[in-house]
Amino acid sequence: MDRFTALLMGFLSVVLVNNFVFTKFLGTCPYLGVSGRIDRAFGMGLAVTFVTALSGTLTWMVDAWVLTPLHLEIARYICYIVIIAGAVQLVEMYVRKFFPSLYDAFGIFLPLISTNCVILGICLFLDVWGTNNLLEAVVISTGTGIGFTVAICIMAAIREELALSDVPEALQGAPITLITAGLLTLAFMGFAGMIK
Amino acid sequence: MTPSIYYLLFTIFDLLPGSSGRPDAYVSLLHNLQLSIVNSQLWSSAWPAGVTMLGLGLVFAIVLLVASERLKVPVDPQVEQIHQVLPHVECGACGFAGCGQYAPAVRNDPQLLGKCAPGGPTVAAQIAAILNIQISGQGAPVRPIIRCRAHTGDRTYFAHYRGIPSCTAANALANAQACKFGCLGFGDCVRSCKFGALRVVDGLATVNYEKCTGCGGCSKVCPRNLIVMVPFSHDPMMTVACRSKENGKTTRAMCQVGCIGCGLCAKQSDAFKVEDNLARMDYASYQPSGQNEAACKKCPTGVIVYRGKSAPAPQPPKARQAASSTA
Repeated sequence: MDRFTALLMGFLSVVLVNNFVFTKFLGTCPYLGVSGRIDRAFGMGLAVTFVTALSGTLTWMVDAWVLTPLHLEIARYICYIVIIAGAVQLVEMYVRKFFPSLYDAFGIFLPLISTNCVILGICLFLDVWGTNNLLEAVVISTGTGIGFTVAICIMAAIREELALSDVPEALQGAPITLITAGLLTLAFMGFAGMIK
Repeated sequence: MTPSIYYLLFTIFDLLPGSSGRPDAYVSLLHNLQLSIVNSQLWSSAWPAGVTMLGLGLVFAIVLLVASERLKVPVDPQVEQIHQVLPHVECGACGFAGCGQYAPAVRNDPQLLGKCAPGGPTVAAQIAAILNIQISGQGAPVRPIIRCRAHTGDRTYFAHYRGIPSCTAANALANAQACKFGCLGFGDCVRSCKFGALRVVDGLATVNYEKCTGCGGCSKVCPRNLIVMVPFSHDPMMTVACRSKENGKTTRAMCQVGCIGCGLCAKQSDAFKVEDNLARMDYASYQPSGQNEAACKKCPTGVIVYRGKSAPAPQPPKARQAASSTA
């Protein structure tokens, strides 16, 4: 039970309290770029979730079972990037095969998941946070992706409303989006300190 | 600590096929640079990095190789070529969502060849070349005509509309203007045009035929169905610029330039006939002729007008002509 609670806390922590988008400002490119419509935002969120879960788990495994025993911590970045690029490539093929319309809608943002800093971020933070078992790594990296999905979907929902509202001319487009992003971050600051 | 790059360099050199260990030149180079890191102990701690990277690369290469076979999406090279020559304005004139959907469709069904309005005959010819087929003579390009010629001053209003400035919204309301057929002038068509070929001039949507590509986007959005696509076999093209089916008296009361269904045009030329109090014209078989010209001249309300790049300004209705000549 204690272990389950720890996992749940870890999960909630990365989704709400330590949300990568809101507290670390990682992954801002797709967060602002693909949040125009909620269906695409959700699709993007799912793709990122899949990649974070896959690459977070794989990098943890490689780190814990190969790199650390061999004292090759120095090669972490390059190994992680190889894993992430491979995972993204896999997702891209899958989406292209089974969701062609989503593939068209994502355009350049799909291969750009590989440069989404949320993903390298979670791989490196797993080590920083001292994740010491596989289950924890899986839960936390999946949670990170879900946190990103939550962020991008909230943003997309607000932007869909914004499209119909009377925004002052000087703030139309990017400025109001950035202000919205800032306010959302402030709102999520409310969760700070809930989970130690 | 020692920079990791040396580990990797050594690894690469050692793993090169046919080389037995590090090249001597390379070692001496490093010695010359007075880097004291080169020793056998270093090598023994460096090779795991290379093997790890190689292993990782190999595993992912195999996984991706399998995936690329299992998840292969066959793309017809012809489809890609067609997609490249299309204009990429995603206007939907062809009846598909965009160029990306039209390309495979036209590949499978060459009957769809001439559907790309913005591309016109040039793109059709390019696609035909890619598909290695011959295009037979194409019909005249279609262009929109607006079946109304009433500017604000010609119309009658019962009230002033101050609602949402959109034709669709205004059309939902009875009596946004007296004529329930005529152009509302809020510019839904202007907003729908991807080529900037439409604008509202004094309350009447007006086509700039220089910019128009004939995609038909405007004809789809007009809530009063005023815009029709007709084959422009000639330029200027003679058109009936009214859609009012009210009887002559009612039309006259509401609009100074509406068709009153008098039938004078039909008496002059066979191209015209009057149905439901409205003059109709057979656009497909239009030829410039004296009879048609006479019909245009005779029209008491000036509803028969020329449209096109070189169209003359429409003549004012007879009543106003008389007024201006006596004045």
